[in-house]
Amino acid sequence: MLNYIWIGLIVIGILTAVGVDLRNEAADTYRNGSSLEAAFLPERAPGPLHAALEGVVIIPAGVFAGHYGLTQRAGQVRQESSLSSDGGTITLSIDESSPDLWREMARAATARDRLLGSVTSVRWGPDGTTALIRFTLEPIRFVRLRAVTQAAFDYAGTAVTIAIGLIGIMALWLGVMKVAEEAGVLKIVARVLAPVMRRLFPDVPADHPAASAMIMNIAANMLGLSNAATPLGLKAMEELNKLSPKAGTATNAMCTFLAINTGGLILIPATALAVRAAAGSANPGIIIGTSIIGALCATIAGVLAAKILEKLPRFRKSLEADHE
Amino acid sequence: MSELFRTIVNAVGALAIPAVLLLFLGWAALKRVKVYEVFVEGAREGFPVALRIIPYLTAMLVAIGIFRASGAMDILVSLLAPVTSWIGMPPEALPMAIMRPLSGSASLGIMTELMKAHGPDSFIGILASTMYGSSETTFYVLAVYFGAAGIKNTRHAVPAGIIADVAGMLAALWIVRIIVK
Repeated sequence: MLNYIWIGLIVIGILTAVGVDLRNEAADTYRNGSSLEAAFLPERAPGPLHAALEGVVIIPAGVFAGHYGLTQRAGQVRQESSLSSDGGTITLSIDESSPDLWREMARAATARDRLLGSVTSVRWGPDGTTALIRFTLEPIRFVRLRAVTQAAFDYAGTAVTIAIGLIGIMALWLGVMKVAEEAGVLKIVARVLAPVMRRLFPDVPADHPAASAMIMNIAANMLGLSNAATPLGLKAMEELNKLSPKAGTATNAMCTFLAINTGGLILIPATALAVRAAAGSANPGIIIGTSIIGALCATIAGVLAAKILEKLPRFRKSLEADHE
Repeated sequence: MSELFRTIVNAVGALAIPAVLLLFLGWAALKRVKVYEVFVEGAREGFPVALRIIPYLTAMLVAIGIFRASGAMDILVSLLAPVTSWIGMPPEALPMAIMRPLSGSASLGIMTELMKAHGPDSFIGILASTMYGSSETTFYVLAVYFGAAGIKNTRHAVPAGIIADVAGMLAALWIVRIIVK
């Protein structure tokens, strides 16, 4: 099933990107090649020295919306920019305050944070503090396809960053767990919860290191200690793998364990609470109860689903060792 | 009540790691385990485990990244909105329900946006934060956990995980409607 979901995400993503880009091309969303009139306010009056002029391009909201055919009107556009010394090129430095459409365009532009425009006319006002300019922005195409390409490369890098970041805490917890195993602490942990564990994971012996690693992972998850939960969970998966009859294939216990983990049972949803408090909520804590109930339902449904699905013939067959 | 519960859980959370370290390592030392040597022995495994998950995580994150960047979610939302509004889920909360199992950072962004637009104490604000708080990033967990064990055939883990997510989202909708209305 993961194969289908995986290829589904990629194919749907790329086809959507192609479709959106073609639609934008047909609708001429970015008005490639047509010129726009704006006021240019230099920071300093143009001196005798021929240097680029830093300043602000100002376009009234109505003119901007009219040019790009936008139905929603944002405020007046005030865009940091610089006019080249010969008055032939305008460079818009796109940032957070720029119009959404320009920000979208800049992501597909030659320089990722700038839009270049060729200026066709400059008319300075009588006092030389403002100019009326007419310019045409560089043509913008394939915005989504470029974004998809960038995302593929960025996320490949992110995967390595995450994995490397795990090395230290992984080493810490695997070290602690090894010591605890040698001392027999893990057996005590496992024995206390043995009745529950036997029911959830009938294939895992109660005193196996996998059982205690799973218990500690679930406890750490509930307390919101993700720095401890992930390494303990990975340790549990490794131990469960030692009990597997078939290399490279998930066992029933692994699937049940994963269902518990994806249920995401947590006593204090710290991230959501922090965001609510930052957004000025009068009662951030209202979601503690609702989150626990939501996660409890998710966990119960996941475990039940895993228990029922593991009995289906197609999933039973895939676990049988090849030589049988 | 909720305040007391929060204080207790926060205190337990703060104490848990030091307590576990002290208990496990202290107990082992009393039992004359060569704690330092055994710790180093175990910790050595950390590096290969972290390296082993890289291919799994790369495959998963790249697919999710392509999906996110393409804007396919907007189309999915417009397709699903008639169905979900029939069960009383506001269409604004739908991107949250779709993104939550795929990407932690994307759903965090969606939650923040929804709270900015509708207010944290509105129905949508409470629903979005409950959805975020009551679920995990299923596909990330799948990639990392199965990666550590070198599992390629995930059998029924994906359907079970998706069932858990759907149940969690529906339960969140149900409980928030009871509380807010």
